[in-house]
Amino acid sequence: MLNPEEMSKIIIVGPDSHMKGVISKLHELKVIHIVDHKKNEFDIGAPLENANRISDLIVRIKSIISYLNKFTSKERKEADAERLTFSQLDRDSIKLEAEINSKTEKLKEIEGKINNLSGMRQTLEKIESLGISLSSFTDYESIGYFLGYLAKTEGIEESLKKLTANFGMKISEYKGKKIMALFIAKDKLQESEAILKKFGFSAIESAFLKAMEGDVSSRISIVSKKISSLKNEQKQLLKELKLLADKWLDVLGYNQKILDAELEKAEAPLRFAKTSDAFVIKGWVPKRQLEKAVKELEKTTSKKVYIKTENIEEHDNVPIELKNYAAAKPFELFMKLYTLPKFNEIDPTFLVFLGFPLLFGFMLGDIGYGLTTLIIAWLLKKKMPKAAGFLNVMMWASAATIFFGALFGEFFGFEELFGVELPHILSRAHQIQELLILAIIVGVAHINLGVIVGFINIKHEHGLLAAIYEKGSWILLQASVAVLALSYMKLLLVPVWAGYIGILASVIMLYKGEGIKGLVELPGIFSNMLSYARLMAIGLASVELALVINSFAEEFFKAGGFMIIAAILLLVVGHAVNIGIGILGSFLHSLRLQYVEFFTKFFHGGGQEFKPFGVKQ
Amino acid sequence: MVDINTGLIALSSCIAIVGSAFATAIAEKQIGSAAIGAMAEKEELFGKGLILTVIPETIVIFGLVIAIMIIGMAGE
Repeated sequence: MLNPEEMSKIIIVGPDSHMKGVISKLHELKVIHIVDHKKNEFDIGAPLENANRISDLIVRIKSIISYLNKFTSKERKEADAERLTFSQLDRDSIKLEAEINSKTEKLKEIEGKINNLSGMRQTLEKIESLGISLSSFTDYESIGYFLGYLAKTEGIEESLKKLTANFGMKISEYKGKKIMALFIAKDKLQESEAILKKFGFSAIESAFLKAMEGDVSSRISIVSKKISSLKNEQKQLLKELKLLADKWLDVLGYNQKILDAELEKAEAPLRFAKTSDAFVIKGWVPKRQLEKAVKELEKTTSKKVYIKTENIEEHDNVPIELKNYAAAKPFELFMKLYTLPKFNEIDPTFLVFLGFPLLFGFMLGDIGYGLTTLIIAWLLKKKMPKAAGFLNVMMWASAATIFFGALFGEFFGFEELFGVELPHILSRAHQIQELLILAIIVGVAHINLGVIVGFINIKHEHGLLAAIYEKGSWILLQASVAVLALSYMKLLLVPVWAGYIGILASVIMLYKGEGIKGLVELPGIFSNMLSYARLMAIGLASVELALVINSFAEEFFKAGGFMIIAAILLLVVGHAVNIGIGILGSFLHSLRLQYVEFFTKFFHGGGQEFKPFGVKQ
Repeated sequence: MVDINTGLIALSSCIAIVGSAFATAIAEKQIGSAAIGAMAEKEELFGKGLILTVIPETIVIFGLVIAIMIIGMAGE
């Protein structure tokens, strides 16, 4: 509970002929955290011969999957997919890739054609709206023409008339924009273009019209028919691609996962040390699984590998697997967020499990708010099973909030319900001084718990004397200051110098234990204790806000009539906002008290996570 | 209407909070942006970053304690 999983350092040595067998056994057992070999007098191993082939295959399959995903929205059900052999996958994926490539190329070609034809149809429609026949757009000897949009049309004819009388112009509107066709003598082309520019002319591509003859509307219907037949072709292709996607995605997804595992196995020798004929694996195995693992390995290799466990040394970076009861397990999240303990340290998860909800509850402390957050967390947990760990933390915190709400006698800020006063031990809104003192007492207790855990840690690592110097001094210091204060206040019949001697002794002990660094931190412990005043401050802010909301709503209720709806709205929105602020504040500050005030008393951390070979991260 | 003495007490406890809150805000602003910068480089630094960022919060807590003490003393 208070210690991480015990690990054994293990070395596996075997001949090359058994390497493959050992790798697949280890992959199946999922118990060994392999320590990557760094090249020294021994080289690192070379990947198994099929590694290249597998990684090529994975790349191909991944590209097919990502491509096919665009064509279907069906849910993937990989669980019941069929497992294919390597060569089968290889063959099928090559065929599939070729099929997809030819289909997509065709698709692109069709799309290009459709774009082209739609452009053409639009131009034809414009000409139709101008009421000009197609045969007008041919090469003349002496006449040129313009076809295009105009920004404004007022006065254009007059401007052109100044240039020449020999022109024909038609103006019409197409989809809200003005279009125009102008036929004019060739020698006036340049001048007329300059005039058109002034009226915001932009040309429409019309070169293809020269090749066209006949009636405009029949042309349009021919083009439309072409477009719709191309669209049918496109639809057919998309349908075929969707069929392919539905048929293959599950199978490919499932087999890709298998291939990933195979690749991990094939590349495992890169992490081993290697001689010309043998391999060496160094790693860590949880102590309770060691015996079984060794037995299994010996069975598969018929005792042809040599397995040795070594003693853990001081500088070893032992991988850490936290080991906690199911209830405390979600709180491991906070350790991963901060840093994992070292192997010889106490794992504080259980202490956080006790401390975090209590401090959270102390701050939020309201039966109504606790119930609300509990229900929200419970509902979210059903919706998002992935966030279950975090939501479990929230549920514990909510339970503590309800508990403290009962102690403080608060329900959505109300201290009485229907004229009956809720029983309370301490009313936060009215006994501020007492609340402050209580918060500091909680702080003293929490910090001293940390100091005691630190004492155990140091005793474990460096012996009892070091622990007394380093951590015992803090407790003596607090006691001495307390004695000093009480004797000054004449509450304790001890001469004043007794306190001073205690302080002096603790300072000397601290100097011996931690050196100058310890002395610098001396005042820190008292500011740490004062820091727990936030328990009061945040709680008070939450209560006062709730009280303000309630008293406003009460006024509204008294006004009656339409105002009752406003009052209800105010209550709902106001308390929702207050709960939001309350959760955020209480969460962060409770976490901060754990990390800053509590952990600094005993925790160093820096352990690396236990990542067994064969478990996907 | 409250008398001027009560007002002065309220004002002085306000000053205690305001001063310490500003000090905290300025300190946290700088540490916080530096911590986010470090986190962008290395995500594991979240824990350490959070701790460093919230250290100055103690200042405002001191201010709060002083404010409460001022109000408490005035009540005597």
